Amino acid sequence: MSSEVEIVASFADEERCARAIEALRAARFSAIRYFAPIPSEKLAEAMHRPKSWVRALVLGGGITGVLTGIAITVGTSLEWNLDVGGKPVVSVPPFIIICFELMILFGGISAVLGFLFFARLPALETAPRYSSRFSEDRFGVVVRCDDADAARVEAILNEAGAEEVLREAA
Amino acid sequence: MAAALEIPVDPGYRDVDRVVLRAMEPPGLAYWIWIAFCFSLVGIAAISWAHQIYTGLGVTGLRQPVMWAVYITNFVFWVGIAHSGTLISAILYLFRTRWRTAVYRAAETMTLFAVTTAGLFPLIHLGRVWFFYWLLPYPNERYLQPNFRSPLVWDAFAVSTYLTISALFLFMGLIPDVANVRERSAGWRRTLYTVLSFGWQGTDEQWRHFAMAYLLMAGLATPLVISVHSVVSWDFAMAQLPGWHSTIFAPYFVAGAIFSGVAMVITLLVPMRRLLGIEELLTPWHFDNLAKVVLLTSLVVTYSYITETFMTWYSGDPIEQMTFHMRYFGPWGWMFWMMVVCNCLIPLLLFSPRIRVNLRALWIISLFVNVGMWSERFVIIAGSLATNFNPSQWAFWHPSITEIMITVGGFAWFLGLFSLFVRFMPIISMTELKEGIVWLKQALRKGWSTP
Repeated sequence: MSSEVEIVASFADEERCARAIEALRAARFSAIRYFAPIPSEKLAEAMHRPKSWVRALVLGGGITGVLTGIAITVGTSLEWNLDVGGKPVVSVPPFIIICFELMILFGGISAVLGFLFFARLPALETAPRYSSRFSEDRFGVVVRCDDADAARVEAILNEAGAEEVLREAA
Repeated sequence: MAAALEIPVDPGYRDVDRVVLRAMEPPGLAYWIWIAFCFSLVGIAAISWAHQIYTGLGVTGLRQPVMWAVYITNFVFWVGIAHSGTLISAILYLFRTRWRTAVYRAAETMTLFAVTTAGLFPLIHLGRVWFFYWLLPYPNERYLQPNFRSPLVWDAFAVSTYLTISALFLFMGLIPDVANVRERSAGWRRTLYTVLSFGWQGTDEQWRHFAMAYLLMAGLATPLVISVHSVVSWDFAMAQLPGWHSTIFAPYFVAGAIFSGVAMVITLLVPMRRLLGIEELLTPWHFDNLAKVVLLTSLVVTYSYITETFMTWYSGDPIEQMTFHMRYFGPWGWMFWMMVVCNCLIPLLLFSPRIRVNLRALWIISLFVNVGMWSERFVIIAGSLATNFNPSQWAFWHPSITEIMITVGGFAWFLGLFSLFVRFMPIISMTELKEGIVWLKQALRKGWSTP
């Protein structure tokens, strides 16, 4: 069985980096990771990953918020059932405001917690192949492949315009 | 436009980092004197508040019928100031506005500290502040719960949600930037930024979930910001009082909030840009666009004033009409006319493109708007209370030294916190500015005209 290696390439701009990822995917390499200093939509599209599950958590948080709102407004009104001037004890329009605010509050908190959970933060260890340049002005692509394919991967990366291509033991 | 020559027309990623990191270098003595000055005013305000808590609300100028005056004015003013930050950071994010990237972090910071300031005033206004938690539902043996039909309870929910969401939005947006700063700092600063960056490394998985969470936060913050000032306006509009009981209050207050807030952004950014040396990234192009928002919202606010007056006349209600007569020509009429000059007339100067990029002029106009919007809140709140249904009750409020000191302390608290933040956190979003650097370049090449 052949051993695996990791090829690390750095790029000066996102277009070249995105082109490299597309070319690698076209050549059927799938174990690709990248590091980017900016929230790049081009790179995200090139990776063809499914949409983040954070949105499901936010939906769940929002629904929980509305239900909590209903529970505390309706629940407390019924608990101390006081008729004020013949107005309904469960007055829907003002309660909608509380439900709305709690929907936003719970949805927002779920968004942040969901992001931290799915992105595996706080990260106590540095991701392998991370370099501080990737937080500054360079884009990094890391490809894991068979030793036999390494030369082909390096060629694709160089062709796409990589500044530097390194081969590391996986 | 002569200053155009000083700025490189082709800034790169490294230029962004260089300028932002330079602004975060250890501050000098003048900075600490300014911070000490701000917080000594806060200290004086705290002593005044302690005196008020000990003695009772009698030390304020609040007397029947004016039971809401300068504290509630400050509350509404500061909540309003906060709104523009969310407009710029969330609403303009959803619209993919190109000039937003350099401005939004400062605006969002302003939001957080403006809400922090605003949140103090309802507490200061309480006679027995130690019972403030009665506004929130909590299990208790007496089965007593807040009245959810009361706008004051809506307000407690809206403002505390707003504070939470704007703080989360700000600190989440900071994560990638703080990670960048972490890599380039040492000592206690490195520890601080390591903790605040949550170990962010900008991997594809991190960005994928970040982008979704950020987009959804912006999507949630957008209706939130509109709801918060609508709820604040209903504190008044739900009451039967002439001058308050009006259906246009929610949109009218939201427009006023954005108007005053963007003016406050300009008030803060013009000196900050010079003091922190971030002129290269915060160009007159950005100010030109901010000035256009001020101009637009000024026109909306002017339209609201006219509509309000028309509705009063058209209603045929003599009590409502008398309230407005007193608002224009009563003892505080000068404040109303000052408000018209500051909010409706002076911002019209911004129709001139030359004035929009003249930062000194823009700064002075923004100060007038701040004064005008504070007056607007005061005129609506205290003015309407002073002349209620029954002329035998009419009485006018006179400020006490306690109220003045606490108001000044509120401004100092806001400015002090903001000044502390801008020196220790990246005040321009490096990641987002880099992402949209092509738009900045394009604007610079065009001599800052809007792309």
